[in-house]
Amino acid sequence: MSSPSPASLLSVRINGEPVQVAVQPHHTLLEVLRYQLDLIGSKQGCDKGDCGACTVQIDGEPQLACLTLAIHAEGRDVTTVEGLATGHGGVHPLQDAFDRWDAAQCGFCTPGILMSAEALVRKTPRPVTDPEVRAALAGNLCRCTGYTKIIDAVIDASRLMHTDDETADGAGQAPTRPAAAAQ
Amino acid sequence: MLRMPRFSVQTPATIEEAVTALQSPGARVVAGGTDLLPNLKHRLEQPPVLVSLSRVEGMRAVAIDEATKMLRIGARVTLTGVSEDPLVREHFGSLAQAAGLVASPLIRNMATLGGNINLDTRCRYVNQTAFWREAIGGGCIKSEGNVCHVVPGGRNCVAAMSSDCVPVLIGLGAHVVLVGPNGRRELPIEDYYVADGTRHTTRDDGELSTEILVPLPTGPRRCHYSKWTVRGSIDFPLISVALRFELERDRIDAPITAAHVVAGVLGARPRRVTRLDDILGKALSDQGVASAVAERVHKQCKPLENVPYEAPYRRQMLRVHTRRAIEALVAAG
Amino acid sequence: MPDDPHHDAAEAADHDNWQLGGTHRKVDAMERMRGITRYTDDLKLPGLLHGKIKRSPHAHARIVSIDTSRALAIAGVHAVVTGRDFPIPYGIIPWTPDENALAVDKALYVGDGVAAVAAVDEETAIEAVDAIEVEYEVLPGLFDPEESLASDLQINPYSRKGNLSKKVELEFGDVEGGLSGAHLVVEGEYFFEGTTHAAIEPHCAVAHVERGGSAGDDGLLTVWSATQVSHYLHRELSKVLEVPAHRIRVIQPPLGGAFGGKSEPFDLEFCVAKLAMITGRPVKILYTREEVFYSHRGRHPMLMKYRTGFSRDGKITAVDANTLIDGGAYSSFGLVTTYYSGQLLCSPYDFGSYRFHSRRAYTNKPACGPKRGHGSVQPRFAIEVQLDKAAVALGVDPIELRRRNDMGEGAKTVNEFQIGSNGFLECLRRVEEASGWKERRTTLPYGRGLGVAGSTYISGTNYPIYPNAMPQAAVQVCLDRSGRARVFSGANDIGQGSNTMLAVIVGEELGLPLEDIRVLSADTDLCPVDLGAYSSRITLMVGNACLDAAHRLRRKVCGAVAKRWEVPVRRVTLVERKAIDIEDPDRHIDIAEAFSWAEEDHGLLGEVGSYNTPKDRHGDYRGGTIGASPAYSFTSHIAEVEVDEETGVVTVGTIWVAHDCGRALSRRIVEGQMEGSAYMGFAEALMEQHIVDPDHGGVHPAPSLLDYRIPTFIDTPQLRSLIVEAPDEQGPYGAKEAGEGPLHPSIPAIANAIYDAVGIRLDSLPFSPPRVLQALEQRRAAEAAGELAPHKGTARRTA
Repeated sequence: MSSPSPASLLSVRINGEPVQVAVQPHHTLLEVLRYQLDLIGSKQGCDKGDCGACTVQIDGEPQLACLTLAIHAEGRDVTTVEGLATGHGGVHPLQDAFDRWDAAQCGFCTPGILMSAEALVRKTPRPVTDPEVRAALAGNLCRCTGYTKIIDAVIDASRLMHTDDETADGAGQAPTRPAAAAQ
Repeated sequence: MLRMPRFSVQTPATIEEAVTALQSPGARVVAGGTDLLPNLKHRLEQPPVLVSLSRVEGMRAVAIDEATKMLRIGARVTLTGVSEDPLVREHFGSLAQAAGLVASPLIRNMATLGGNINLDTRCRYVNQTAFWREAIGGGCIKSEGNVCHVVPGGRNCVAAMSSDCVPVLIGLGAHVVLVGPNGRRELPIEDYYVADGTRHTTRDDGELSTEILVPLPTGPRRCHYSKWTVRGSIDFPLISVALRFELERDRIDAPITAAHVVAGVLGARPRRVTRLDDILGKALSDQGVASAVAERVHKQCKPLENVPYEAPYRRQMLRVHTRRAIEALVAAG
Repeated sequence: MPDDPHHDAAEAADHDNWQLGGTHRKVDAMERMRGITRYTDDLKLPGLLHGKIKRSPHAHARIVSIDTSRALAIAGVHAVVTGRDFPIPYGIIPWTPDENALAVDKALYVGDGVAAVAAVDEETAIEAVDAIEVEYEVLPGLFDPEESLASDLQINPYSRKGNLSKKVELEFGDVEGGLSGAHLVVEGEYFFEGTTHAAIEPHCAVAHVERGGSAGDDGLLTVWSATQVSHYLHRELSKVLEVPAHRIRVIQPPLGGAFGGKSEPFDLEFCVAKLAMITGRPVKILYTREEVFYSHRGRHPMLMKYRTGFSRDGKITAVDANTLIDGGAYSSFGLVTTYYSGQLLCSPYDFGSYRFHSRRAYTNKPACGPKRGHGSVQPRFAIEVQLDKAAVALGVDPIELRRRNDMGEGAKTVNEFQIGSNGFLECLRRVEEASGWKERRTTLPYGRGLGVAGSTYISGTNYPIYPNAMPQAAVQVCLDRSGRARVFSGANDIGQGSNTMLAVIVGEELGLPLEDIRVLSADTDLCPVDLGAYSSRITLMVGNACLDAAHRLRRKVCGAVAKRWEVPVRRVTLVERKAIDIEDPDRHIDIAEAFSWAEEDHGLLGEVGSYNTPKDRHGDYRGGTIGASPAYSFTSHIAEVEVDEETGVVTVGTIWVAHDCGRALSRRIVEGQMEGSAYMGFAEALMEQHIVDPDHGGVHPAPSLLDYRIPTFIDTPQLRSLIVEAPDEQGPYGAKEAGEGPLHPSIPAIANAIYDAVGIRLDSLPFSPPRVLQALEQRRAAEAAGELAPHKGTARRTA
């Protein structure tokens, strides 16, 4: 075995709960979440920040857990996909919209995409648009969907979250599609 | 997955402590980590200790220094922060633009401006795993070996300066502030870079870049940053040109009083395009000005096969993107 | 024929389609979105060891010696294995077993596995791998298939014909006559450079041996793997490890994408199994992204020379195809690929006559294999561009030219395959209408263009990979008196939604909402055998098997209700968790009670259903079974592009995708397959290149998701899916495949749109900006020399 490096005690809030865990200095937040805390919702796809499958929020900002030193999370608020529905009755509107739109095929990129999408809809005080979704999710790769249903789902969820019930015409059922580029 | 080599991490609370920690042999600074961590995973370096800036007070402000007429940007401001900062957007639109074009939103939320100006040079033969470098015959002068795969027989590393912000900052005449054991020094960012891909800045190992100072505009100007890469996100630039034109009046047809054109992703050092005197006195909107600048860029900037896509193509595109950038400025008025 | 599921399908279609053709929440999506689902790398077992594979840095080298002593001396290292531990070769195709779990005597490409370790953690395993010393005798690398075929240096030690992996020559009808009598002969040479799957989940496998107790002294080996072919993995593990199949259990945990990239056994599965057997501890290996690229099995590079004859009115008289296929170091599915490169091309157009000559060569590269649209995406590119060239030469609208050659439903292809339903003309009509083709194509300015292409794909193949007369698919369905159903299926859900497809069928037949149905799949101990997720076989084959079982249960339940209500069985239907009297809808009972009545009458409610393919729908010649399918899907795309004449950058704005899937069992899932397919083809057209660098030892120049560029949210065009339904009597409720067919026209539609936009033909993939620019410059030069008229009548600026 390699010579052990001194572990240090990390104090962090994860999904709203205080957590203390001994971490090795050369380990990333992703390694600690997945392999020490068994928070396996954050995925490992590319090893080094190229795919976004490991996206978590740190103090509300979507970031790459695979490029974050675990000890950099000290004293901060980390939200993983497992904590996304907290305060939303067990299912976040984005998760529900993704489910209705069949926006998750294999689902491997989905946790990361949800964490990026949540920041977008939280910061946008109105329903989001197609270009806004594409820009906000541009660091998250998906290989299954061609992105179409994901965009539909995020737009749909944001309409539901930002529109009064009486005026939520079609939200929850029909997508808001941008006009066809050609038409 | 790719794992990092073992190291210890120090988390100083002040700049002074950080500088002290940096005096430890082989110590490396880590802030956002988006450049360093992939390089560590690739075993391009194996520092015994990382000096983390995560708990250092300060270095996160953006403020105007009225005395020096500079915008001071703390080195730990994230690229998202730079791209969204009202002062940066007001005074240095092309810097906000460049910062907002770096990699992906996720990277920009983590990466800092200090990290971006210190971004290690990149090369298709370097930024790979240790296994891969072994497979091409044992690395190169920037890694484990002693050859150059880009310039056969070359002795000098030509890995590419791939920061989006650096050409803009050079064009804007920015300064970088370094704090070391012997105190603070400040130098024009243009002089910060040298043409050696293995060590492309003049920062001493024991120094920390703490601030970037950008002189406020003294008159009307037009600036633009032009980047091209294959994908609309995630990629490093393959073509990178920063433009700044000082104008006599705040009109696009006003005479140009000064021109600054800087290109990146060539060798280890960004290139300032020279001999632009003949456009001075003319207007950006004048016939032939855009093409004249584009021709200078094309003549003086010689991309290498250090990053993907054929060098001749990228050279040709430097001309196109430069001309279009100026046309876009003209169209915007 | 009361037990014939196809007969029953017509009957089934009569009752209300309460699930069929609707939109559904997938049965297993929400748990994935909550981060609860355990993919293979998420499994935790007590005492888990971590493995790592040592790989060859040489593209071609003899292994002189391997010294593992330093690795074994490292504290925490439990075992090391090398190729000598796996002397039995295997291969997904039983006729071409030409690879070992780890290289025995020779490494054949950069990344070939030569040894593996198991250690207490991954970091120690990495350290141990670095400590293994391998002495190589480096051999010349052969990277070009032509060179490889001409060389005396044999790459693969198991090959029987030097570096020729497979050759197929087939001719149907009078090709020379068809060409010589043609009004127009279009000749073209096309090159497809090769691409890879790049599923976001890297390959991962875990193995564990239970010993003693009920597992017996010999033990029971369990292998969890991110595979799309559990059954074949099961067979090959048994063969290579010399463990009887009944002492091996293969479980496919939920999978993070595959696309054909996980459709055969890989080194890691054998290594974790062997290391677990040696150490008595569970062992996991997770590929790095770089290793995923080396494992590859992606789309073959193909050099395709085509001659196509046309009559004056645009009818195809003959197709003559000559294809050189670059196979990489191992056969993989190469035997099939070589056939597919010719056999799958003969629809939707009537060829008149056809000859193809395909050769697959071994090279010192990562082995190629099946990627979504196996074997036929490359030739589809060639033929659809050939058609476009003919349309231009003949002055016929490209859609009209395709219509004139459409073979229609019930046709027999020139290579003697029996086509069933055929919605190709409807596909053309839908994309033509949706894109505004008629009005817009003639008015789009220089630089913008529309292109069309069509295609066909199989819904599974009539003959399985290893010859046997057993069913190709089987499903077991059980009903519970609480009103729930359980479905046991060996099929691999790889994200395409096959578990949901099964639930839709069971729900439709038994009146259940999907949340009352539990699908257990891809566990060789618990589920019936299924052959796996490949060749787009699951909806048709497993769907038929499921329908068979579900319909038997439906009959029992309806019969029990009818008996008690004293009405004919036909009056009873099962919908909305109820059994209802069709003629007196106020009379209904809860489905749980209906199930209870049926259980009173029949005992435990469980049925098995199975499906086997028709054996009378292929060609009567050697190879005539390969590529023959129970049913064929049809697709048409129109792509709209904008070409930047100064930079060569092609922007695809919109792709309209019309796909005849027979019957959409679940509409959004079908649309998702169409969109994902179109995206993947678009990516291959413009960006992706899986290559090696012959000047640097044959390394892959871009083995990462940074340098191998798959499109982001920003790059991907608007994708408009248009479902076309031409039900096929062979499919469950008429359903055919939707997961692979819709990829095929992407590339040629974009190529043809580029021609429409700027008048250049790009016959080599990908259409990267430098290539586009070079072609534009050639066109400009030709225009300047007066050899060509300005495209779209516009004089172009010169560079």
